[in-house]
Amino acid sequence: MNFAYDEDQRLLKETTRRFLEERHPLAALRPNLETDTTLDRAVWRDGAQLGWTAMLAPAENDGGSVSEQPIVDLIALAEELGRVLYPGPFLPANVVADTLARGGDEAQRKDWLAPLVRGERIAAWCATGDGTADASAIAVTATPAEGGMRLDGRARWVHDAHAADFLLVACRAPQGETLALVPLPASGVGVRVLKGLDLTRRFCEVTFSGVQVSSDALLGAPGSAAPALARMGSLASVIQAGEAVGAMEKLFELTVQHAKDRVQFGRAIGSFQAIKHRLADLWIELEGARAAAHYAALALADELSDREQAVATAGCYVREAASQLAGESLQIHGGVGFTWEYDVHLFLRRAKADQVLYGDPSWHAERLCRLLEADVKEA
Amino acid sequence: MDVRVPEVPASYDDYRRRVREFVEAHKPALRMKEKAGLRVPDDPEDVSKLRAWVRALNDAGFASPAHSETKLDPHQTRILNEELGKAGVPVVLGNPLVGGAIKLFGTEQQKAFYLPRIASGEHIWTQLFSEPAAGSDLASLQTRGRLDGDAYVVDGQKVWSTWAQFSDYGYLLARTEEKAGPAGITAFILDMKSPGVTTRPLREITGTTDFNEVFLDEVRIPVENVIGQPGQGWAVTTASLAQERGGVGSRGAEDSIAGLVRIARATKRAGRPAIEDGAVRQTIARFAARSRIQRALGYRVATKAAAKELGPADAPLTKIWFSELNLQINEYALSLQGPNGALAEGDPLAWQDGKFQDAFLYARAWTIAGGSNEIMRNLIAERGLGLPREARG
Repeated sequence: MNFAYDEDQRLLKETTRRFLEERHPLAALRPNLETDTTLDRAVWRDGAQLGWTAMLAPAENDGGSVSEQPIVDLIALAEELGRVLYPGPFLPANVVADTLARGGDEAQRKDWLAPLVRGERIAAWCATGDGTADASAIAVTATPAEGGMRLDGRARWVHDAHAADFLLVACRAPQGETLALVPLPASGVGVRVLKGLDLTRRFCEVTFSGVQVSSDALLGAPGSAAPALARMGSLASVIQAGEAVGAMEKLFELTVQHAKDRVQFGRAIGSFQAIKHRLADLWIELEGARAAAHYAALALADELSDREQAVATAGCYVREAASQLAGESLQIHGGVGFTWEYDVHLFLRRAKADQVLYGDPSWHAERLCRLLEADVKEA
Repeated sequence: MDVRVPEVPASYDDYRRRVREFVEAHKPALRMKEKAGLRVPDDPEDVSKLRAWVRALNDAGFASPAHSETKLDPHQTRILNEELGKAGVPVVLGNPLVGGAIKLFGTEQQKAFYLPRIASGEHIWTQLFSEPAAGSDLASLQTRGRLDGDAYVVDGQKVWSTWAQFSDYGYLLARTEEKAGPAGITAFILDMKSPGVTTRPLREITGTTDFNEVFLDEVRIPVENVIGQPGQGWAVTTASLAQERGGVGSRGAEDSIAGLVRIARATKRAGRPAIEDGAVRQTIARFAARSRIQRALGYRVATKAAAKELGPADAPLTKIWFSELNLQINEYALSLQGPNGALAEGDPLAWQDGKFQDAFLYARAWTIAGGSNEIMRNLIAERGLGLPREARG
């Protein structure tokens, strides 16, 4: 029985924490809260050197993981990135890397995956037309055309598309769901940065009108992408859960500290049971979220038989717990929590955005219920 | 990370077969019905049968691994737990937590005499901690012991003692020195047959009598029956209570969740099976998620325990998670049954003869006993998170 990070994973976390403290602490976000981009490419490139994009890629494409469970390595990293609300495309980069590593041919892995792993090229992931997790919401059509396909339609909630060097696009071909690679800039591709509630990251709407894709930029045969799409959704949910747990952990530390420092009625407010019990409950939710995220990562890494249930569990629980913890933390901070200057609202905004991206809690709960029904036989 | 349990090798098939055959041959037929929680028979005949059963298990080397001294390998432990779990009758009688206290603080004579007899089921124990005026604030207990020659003379009243009506010994806390707070409390081994001990079964909201009141009137307890040092009972207690809290809820609530799915399939809402109702599906899934997390929290605790890294907030976390989920699942099970949810045991229309109604009522034992969940939240906040203590009288 070992349900904890191993030595190497702990070292990875420490190294990452030190790097982020120096290069991208929470305060580094401040000047960019209302600008068009929050991505510092130099930090991203150096992060890639530390393994941020390497875990799910094979060694021949410059990848490599810390342990035999690369997805667990990944959420160890995600927690650290979450603690500082790191804005960059950690989630989509790894989803795209995993998809290329598993489904790309040798040339695609060499041309697209390796530069992504090295941090030289940034990938964006165009999943669906409305940001939900349903494959039925894919809103890009792929029409057979001379030498390949032509893409038309749109994708929304595409993380850092405005800074991307290429796109991995889920689209619907006559044969079914298909994945296509689009280098940027490309004729017919439009990118608009969405104005979001979350001030720490930038999401985009990407439009396609008559975008030409050659056959060698398709991943696998047209119509064969359904299993890859399911995997991408699971992976996204698990990485997001890891980032969320890191953010919860940091915000909770700030809130406990506030409860110890803030004096009212001549006592630290953390001595009052109304505050104390609320903090105890938030800690329970944090530990529950952590256990859910870790188990989902482990189940996916080891392909355990209950991995879908594990992902759906993290998918509905962590999203709600993170949002709950952020809201309660603001309440415990009182008036200062309501100021622009304090960081609490950045955590709250992040948590609320995460709650609805890559499948909202009720979407994951419905999935869990379907799996449960299949598991429960009549008595 | 790895939480997989290794497959039991085929070479253990014979061991499993022997356990199974033993259980089939010796399992007592009881009048008491299988119910949620730590339940105690009403019928003394059931107790005699259970004593014989536990003794037989012990003699055969099949005693419950959690409270036995028998050396088993991990596969045997697992097989034994699985097969005894399936038996559906108690395999541990009384409250065996005193074993932890005696192991940590007992004299060599106490260890040699009591531990094997706890393991063999020969001695049934009860816990004599709570009092009518000392629940959450246990240190305010009023039972007094004064030294008189080679014995303490003890007076007082205890409550919430499981199995006391059938117990041979009691694990007793009494104040022996007039000091404030936890200091001055002494832990005793009380022979329940001593003159001056009166046990009165206490009927609870479930309609069953799973607890007792115990009255102590000029009861003489020999000084050699003190556990640890006089006046240091609090340290003894803290160790065994932590054990009690950590033990609950280390697996998920899969069985109850499956029960909800079955109820939802069988009952109708607006003419359609409840399981097709989106609100029902969402609720059941949220419980299933928390049940799965409960299991993962069990892995977390086991990992920390193995590394000797358990903190003061860990057992309270498990206890709160388990007891509140259990309560909410059973509350929901009743509402999911519609008007039939208001039926109870004995009515032919009651779902599974009122199983969920009983579990719903009993669920409050878990949220209150072993330190109420409010006390657990204080422990998390003060000892886990380092928040300042609240003013206490």
